[in-house]
Amino acid sequence: MADVVFSNVQKTFGTFTAVRDLDLTIRSGEFVSLLGPSGCGKTTTLRMLAGLEFPTGGTISIDGKVVNDTAPGKRDIAMVFQSYALYPHMTVAKNIAYPLKKRGVPAAERDQMVAKAAEMLQLTPLLNRKPGQLSGGQQQRVALGRALVRDPKVFLLDEPLSNLDAKLRGYMRAELVELHARLGRTMVYVTHDQLEAMTMSDRIAIMLNGDLQQFAPPQEVYRFPANRFVAGFIGTPSMNLIDGELTRAGSGWRFCAASLDVPVGPLNDMAQPGPACLGMRPESLSLGAGEQMAKVLLVEQTGHENIVTLQFAGQIRLTARTTAAQDLQMGADVAFAIDTSALHVFGPGETGPRLNRLLENKSSETDGQT
Amino acid sequence: MSRPNTATPLERRYAMLGVILIAPTILVFCAVIVYPLFSAIYLSLFQIFTPTLQGSFVGLENYQRLFQRSEFWISLRNTLVWTIGTLTLQILLGVAMALVLHQNLWFRSLARSLILFPYFVSTVVAVLVWRWLFNDLYGILNHLMISVGLIDWPLDFLGSSPNAMISVILVGAWKYFPFVVIAVLARLQTIPEPLYEAAKIDGAGPIARFFDITLPQLREVLVVIILLRAIWDFKEFDLIFLLTGGGPLITTQTLPLLVYKEAFALNQMGMASAYAVVMMAIMLVFMVVYVLKTRNKDESR
Repeated sequence: MADVVFSNVQKTFGTFTAVRDLDLTIRSGEFVSLLGPSGCGKTTTLRMLAGLEFPTGGTISIDGKVVNDTAPGKRDIAMVFQSYALYPHMTVAKNIAYPLKKRGVPAAERDQMVAKAAEMLQLTPLLNRKPGQLSGGQQQRVALGRALVRDPKVFLLDEPLSNLDAKLRGYMRAELVELHARLGRTMVYVTHDQLEAMTMSDRIAIMLNGDLQQFAPPQEVYRFPANRFVAGFIGTPSMNLIDGELTRAGSGWRFCAASLDVPVGPLNDMAQPGPACLGMRPESLSLGAGEQMAKVLLVEQTGHENIVTLQFAGQIRLTARTTAAQDLQMGADVAFAIDTSALHVFGPGETGPRLNRLLENKSSETDGQT
Repeated sequence: MSRPNTATPLERRYAMLGVILIAPTILVFCAVIVYPLFSAIYLSLFQIFTPTLQGSFVGLENYQRLFQRSEFWISLRNTLVWTIGTLTLQILLGVAMALVLHQNLWFRSLARSLILFPYFVSTVVAVLVWRWLFNDLYGILNHLMISVGLIDWPLDFLGSSPNAMISVILVGAWKYFPFVVIAVLARLQTIPEPLYEAAKIDGAGPIARFFDITLPQLREVLVVIILLRAIWDFKEFDLIFLLTGGGPLITTQTLPLLVYKEAFALNQMGMASAYAVVMMAIMLVFMVVYVLKTRNKDESR
């Protein structure tokens, strides 16, 4: 059991608040991603957990023990740095053995553990090389080896894949997922790449300007974003967000913007008539038939599908996803229909809250399950 | 160096230009380095009276006499004691000070400029000040040590046997440690911070971090500093000459002072040249090590 609990954690640098009132409980064995744009506080959060930064308020506990005043070396954590931070003057074997050596593991035992870790990461033929003689991917694996050789309670990974090329990144992503499954250890992973977060995590914590926006499994984050920021941040191409007016229509609600007027599903108690934001995923627009008309601005072919940018009602831009077979000419007019069962409604503002009723039910459900 | 005969006229003109551009440097180099070098070796084979520069060819007799003289061996030993002593202090003091100045102190930038002061100040001025400080009659050092109660009677810093060498070594260390500070500080600033953070997480305390991260990272720059300073300290003349003049007797007389004494006090230019040539041969060892060290580094990159 190695839960990680952030309780009301604050971090300020002078007048700048990096992390504000963070409450986060990471369960034992869970793979959690901290996701957000640069400057959102995700790295600061990880560094506080590592003991490299000290919170200015609140408590952090690992395995039920408050570690605010515990030195990094005594927290039983391991960290993989974005730059790998391998010791350049030591061989691969010595790099991996270093955390063991500093904890007084006898030499014979140490060699065994290094050999085991090296085998797991296919580093055995490289053990006598120096980091400078390795490729980026190999250095990455050495950094992982140094982290896992000690079998720590919690693994911290700070954008470990960002220095690799695209192909290797995909490969290492799969390796990390497999490694997590094999070791069953708690892993906290910082990234600004939503694809990494979506594909690898059990749960994603999305942050913006030091505030936690949503903490939920990838599917839930995608299907029921907690607010407008999360909705726009998760998904490629990103969700269409249209500002407009929310009005009551009998017992339900309607959303109007320019010539668009659609019924929206049951909303929660926060909903009130007035300015609001409508969100629809590119896949909930279907082109070719329907009562709305738009102009095709751009067709991007990705191979198995096309990403189409539409201009609607003069000023609203929409992104739609269509099959590659659908032939669309730039500049032509096209009819489209909106799947009204998959619409999201958010309150006004950058982090306007989700107004659809579905979230609350869904959220409590998944929380109980996992 | 055979030039490929396929060179075009344009290439040949460029080569010509290169020769013309480099020629002044080579001429000056020959005039101020190569000529004196061979001249010294040539002179060392003669017995010459300095004022008239008249003398007779004696072959290797100068060298034979040189190695038989106890004064040569004493001076060589003094040179080694001085070089090793002052160099060790310079390195220890320099690295320690660089580590202090690398911390985030509010007076850091001021201290960084002040630290260079001993290096800036001219040797003559520095030595004059130190001779006042060391003076056994009115020197402040003796005054302070007596008033604190460390000693009852003034110490003769420059006029008695082990004291003089210790004083010279201390002044040398004071004068030249800023060079070490600057070079080490420059290297310290390029050590990536994540290395220290990784070491913290791996369980290394401050002392382990110094020996496992800082020192190995400083290794290359320290090798260069030690070799350069060893060469400079080995042939240091003005500081020792002004401070003690080699005395008392010849207890602080290093090889450069011996060369000077032979050439201009005893008027034996031939003998002085022989000493200088031997000194050069010893320093050649440092130079070869330096060249090998720096070349290895280039190759491994």
